[in-house]
Amino acid sequence: MTQPASDISTTVSLGYDGHAPLFRAPEKIRTVFIVTLVAACLPLAGGILFFGYRAAWVAAIAIASCAVFERFYFRVTHTPALLGRSHAYLTGMLLALTLPPFTPWWVVVMAAAFAIIVGKAIFGGVGHFLWQPALLGRFAVAVIVPILASLGIDANLTPDQWPLLAPQHMLLGDIGDVQPMRPGEIYRGWQDHDLPEDDDGWAVPLPTQTLRPLTVATVDVEPAFSSLAAVREHIDHRKPAALTQLPPVGDMLLGARPGGIGETCAVVIVVAGLYLIYRNYVKWGLPLCFLLAAAAVAAVAPVRVDVGGERSVSWPIIAEGLDVGLAYATYQVLSGAVLLGAFFLATEMTSRPVLGGAQMLFGAGAGATAMLLKLYTTLPIPTYVAILIWNTLTPTIDMVWRPRVYGQRHVLRFRRKQH
Amino acid sequence: MHVMFHRYGQFAGGIDLPDENASTIDQPIGMVDSVATLRVPLAPCGTAGASPVVDVGTNVQCGERLAAAPGPGGVDIFAPAAGRVAALTTAVVRHGRDLLACPAIELTDIHGGCGMGAAREVRDWRTVSSNTIRQQLAEGQIATSRPRPEPLIRWVQRAVATACQDLIVNAMENQPYITADHRLLVEYGPQVMQGLAILALACEARQVFLAVDARRTRDYASLVEPAIQYSVNRVALPHKYPIGADPILIKVLTRREVPLGGRPTDIGAAVIDASTCLAAYRWVACGQRLTGRVVTVNGDGVARPGNVFVPFGTSCHDLLGETDAPCVLGGPMTGRQVDGDAVVSPACESVLAVTPTPHAPPSQCIRCGWCRDHCPVRLNVAMLNDMYELGDVAQAEHLGVTACVGCGVCSYVCPARLPLTDRVRRLAGTVRHHRRSMPLLSDMAPSPAAEADR
Repeated sequence: MTQPASDISTTVSLGYDGHAPLFRAPEKIRTVFIVTLVAACLPLAGGILFFGYRAAWVAAIAIASCAVFERFYFRVTHTPALLGRSHAYLTGMLLALTLPPFTPWWVVVMAAAFAIIVGKAIFGGVGHFLWQPALLGRFAVAVIVPILASLGIDANLTPDQWPLLAPQHMLLGDIGDVQPMRPGEIYRGWQDHDLPEDDDGWAVPLPTQTLRPLTVATVDVEPAFSSLAAVREHIDHRKPAALTQLPPVGDMLLGARPGGIGETCAVVIVVAGLYLIYRNYVKWGLPLCFLLAAAAVAAVAPVRVDVGGERSVSWPIIAEGLDVGLAYATYQVLSGAVLLGAFFLATEMTSRPVLGGAQMLFGAGAGATAMLLKLYTTLPIPTYVAILIWNTLTPTIDMVWRPRVYGQRHVLRFRRKQH
Repeated sequence: MHVMFHRYGQFAGGIDLPDENASTIDQPIGMVDSVATLRVPLAPCGTAGASPVVDVGTNVQCGERLAAAPGPGGVDIFAPAAGRVAALTTAVVRHGRDLLACPAIELTDIHGGCGMGAAREVRDWRTVSSNTIRQQLAEGQIATSRPRPEPLIRWVQRAVATACQDLIVNAMENQPYITADHRLLVEYGPQVMQGLAILALACEARQVFLAVDARRTRDYASLVEPAIQYSVNRVALPHKYPIGADPILIKVLTRREVPLGGRPTDIGAAVIDASTCLAAYRWVACGQRLTGRVVTVNGDGVARPGNVFVPFGTSCHDLLGETDAPCVLGGPMTGRQVDGDAVVSPACESVLAVTPTPHAPPSQCIRCGWCRDHCPVRLNVAMLNDMYELGDVAQAEHLGVTACVGCGVCSYVCPARLPLTDRVRRLAGTVRHHRRSMPLLSDMAPSPAAEADR
């Protein structure tokens, strides 16, 4: 490195080296993934609590098959970016959080294969993929399973009524052993609803499905509410908004509602997400803008209202006032996978923009898109599709979003010549 | 009652580093143990070597001229100690984050060095004109003690040519271990202030700042009085790395930004350090040559950590003694790892024996964005890393790569352990090289033919 020059009359530069700085921060890539994995265990624990051991089984299959697929691909191709399995575990965990608890094992394995091989490996591994791999796996099975079902293979990821364990059978119950709601029966909340003998829980409609007739005109399904006035009536009685049709807000926050394994426990997701923000693995702007944009869209997106027997379209906040509008928006944000998407899936480092401001744009766009898809389409996974759409835009956002560097002039940044 | 030190604001980005200076910060400046040989570097400023004016075998006195400057970019070399010229050899010195193998004169039979002993003022500098001061500085052949040294008179001339408004003494020293300028301010505060006044006179600066660490101000009581006498603005700044980088310091103090690829003097600010101020005072007022500097010696396994006055040409091995840790010239964030035979030059404020943090080999970037979040000049380092891997120098220039101050924060925080600082420096070096070798492209006016087409 420091051999003296042969000619002693001249000065020779010995060049740079890669040593400095001599100190390095303790955070490693592995730490990032493992801590995120541990944080993701919290929503999973909530899911296991409310959906029983079958949820744990789905998660175990997802994590194990992701690790196996990644190992297999590395054995074949020796892509160096795939070395190290912590991100495969994390991908498997996030995939499990997005899947319904009653997913058959082969569907989980198929999702893991798509997530690792298509979503991650063929792009070149961590740092190179375009779409969040877990979401790509989830998207793949959401497309493929209905096709298989039409071919006669018995699998359904989007039933009309989703299982939920009763309080007496938490953690140990079997979600295969539940009774669908009878027509006309009114769901009275997780704590209060009657449990038939020999059953571990109930099968109830997803809150999203309950809310959907407000915005999507359906012919055969009776609208859940004739108008938002019904919501107003319940608030006036100081009772949760949709007592007859929706779980109470307390249930929505705790996660006692049907849904994907990790999608339901709002409080737990927020706590885990705040921990990730505290660790600086997630910048606060992205989830905040995601949630704010989703809530704002829900608050102003037109709904079908029923005024004096006449149907029309109006904004929730304008038609029904601030209180009902905000309660409605809160239900919309809490009912789908918006929270999980905001804190865990949209924040995947590789598939989100790098800069803070660009992340806020990304989050706001993904949140608004997610809510629009949720309100006006019948996609089974609107939030995930929205995040995948905005993942596609990430390289563009990165190229366009260029804050001024010290010493650059404000206006000249947009010109071709720098000086 | 006057305010001892004014407080200023912060800058975005940066990190908090450990101090690691408990063993040196309160110890007075000592003398280096007697060394057997000195290899005095003849090109401390990175130019061609100075041409020796003494023959091998002659005995030289302390402060005697050893070599004559090769041109306006270099300085004359003076004997840092009395001894015998043994040979012409080479020595490795630091120059920024580069290393230079430059010609050197080997002195043996060292008897009696020129210390930092009490100096008597022999010249009155307070009543003379700026021109006279500049003439004296030119005769002094002093090299600045910045990481990239240059002749002090050249620095002064540049400041004068750009009508420098602000003269800033950068005594922030917020890398771990380093306390050399701190001890200088504590023990030689009045002299440093007078040297600063001399430089202010030479530069014809309108405002003079002394920027120090906010946590150490209570130690600087002795220099407040002379600072007021010479109307020096005393500024205490928060301890956040890299506030000691020149462009960041200027930004915090004056809200002006050094243009891309430019120098601080382009925006009328000249930055110097305490060591050079003291050297200017000792030459202009006392007639003593610059023959050594105060160096922080510290690190793992160093027998006697402390700040010592070291004659130029002392090898790191002599300073550190027996230690297993690698030797580092300069601070742990911006310094350069060397073999033990590298020598002390004006560029080296510390000689450390630091074991680098062990880490795995670099892996791929996961786009966490921490490098950008902590970058003091807001460079998108992740994208620059892409440009490095793609070899896209033009795009890197478009991203403003020449704004890099080389602080090392991006490498420090990178969870993938990528050598980001190194890569950005290489990109910036390539951009500068292109600008130099193709000057027409950088500021080409629209040609008359193109105008006619339009």
